[in-house]
Amino acid sequence: MTPLPDSLLEAVASAAVREGLADAVFTRLRTPIGRLLIVQGERGIIRVGFEEEPEDHVLAEVAGRLGPRIVGSDRELALTRDTFDAYFAGEGDPHDLPVDFALVVAPFRRAVLEALHSDVAAGQVVTYGGLAERAGNARAYRAAATACARNPIPIVVPCHRVLPSTGGIGRYGGGPERKRALLELEGSLPTRP
Amino acid sequence: MTTVALPPFWSLVEAHGDELLAHARRLAGDQHAEDVVQDALLRALRAYPRLRHADHLRAWLYRVTTTAAIDAHRARRRELPTDDVPTVATHDTYDEGAFEALIAPLPAGARAALWLRYVDDLEYEGIADRLGISAAAARQRVSTAVRTLRERLAA
Repeated sequence: MTPLPDSLLEAVASAAVREGLADAVFTRLRTPIGRLLIVQGERGIIRVGFEEEPEDHVLAEVAGRLGPRIVGSDRELALTRDTFDAYFAGEGDPHDLPVDFALVVAPFRRAVLEALHSDVAAGQVVTYGGLAERAGNARAYRAAATACARNPIPIVVPCHRVLPSTGGIGRYGGGPERKRALLELEGSLPTRP
Repeated sequence: MTTVALPPFWSLVEAHGDELLAHARRLAGDQHAEDVVQDALLRALRAYPRLRHADHLRAWLYRVTTTAAIDAHRARRRELPTDDVPTVATHDTYDEGAFEALIAPLPAGARAALWLRYVDDLEYEGIADRLGISAAAARQRVSTAVRTLRERLAA
């Protein structure tokens, strides 16, 4: 059988958003670091999934928080898509987009991610210790590392900008190769030949 | 917030959208099928958080689509003689009553086939078991029942 036409799906999604029926909207975006699943609620982006994360799990996670009325639409998230596209073309920064930290329940982890989101712009980097300090507890660098490892909104909340003080690139939820690619894109690491 | 763990709505749409469109084509014809599905999905979305369980969601979507097709047909008929804006009947689409009322005027055999398929969500083998007929005959009976429903609409 043929899938539903995009025009029909987009019409349903826009009507749903217009009528206030959508708990969240998602879009799939092709990028140089693979396909991203971006999920946005009324307050902002709540989840960004890398392509190896099963979509059903990611969407179910959001449904558990915001409700099950989740719809897919490229058109409704056009601004978000444009911002990501521009970022991967070397302009702008998705971290200017509004975010929703509803999936981050632990208070200190949330403080870490909020500090990272508000303080560390593209082109800057910070150490885990430095980030822990910004979140109010300089000694909690391990907790800061955990917060980054479990960041539900990578790229927008820029965990790739957090580096170990001992040197090297450190770990990343989406894998070190992606971290390196993002830092190269932002000019924080020399581009490899 | 819902008390039952319902899957993200769009997962259902992506899994079953194509067959709902085929179902709408059988009921409403090519010309109206997409409008029917669009209306059905919005009705389903409105009712979704009120569902009391997450079982047989596919069959539920079939019933909502059937009801949407019938309402669209009624609205078009009302539309014909006047230029009034059609007022679409607003069934409570998660209530079994709407579907039951639709199939009530059909002959018992057709009614049973539609019920087993779109309320009990049985495969043709299951319907065959319940009716004591072969799976091929069950498929035939459901197909005939859908046609009967459509013909009643056209009448």
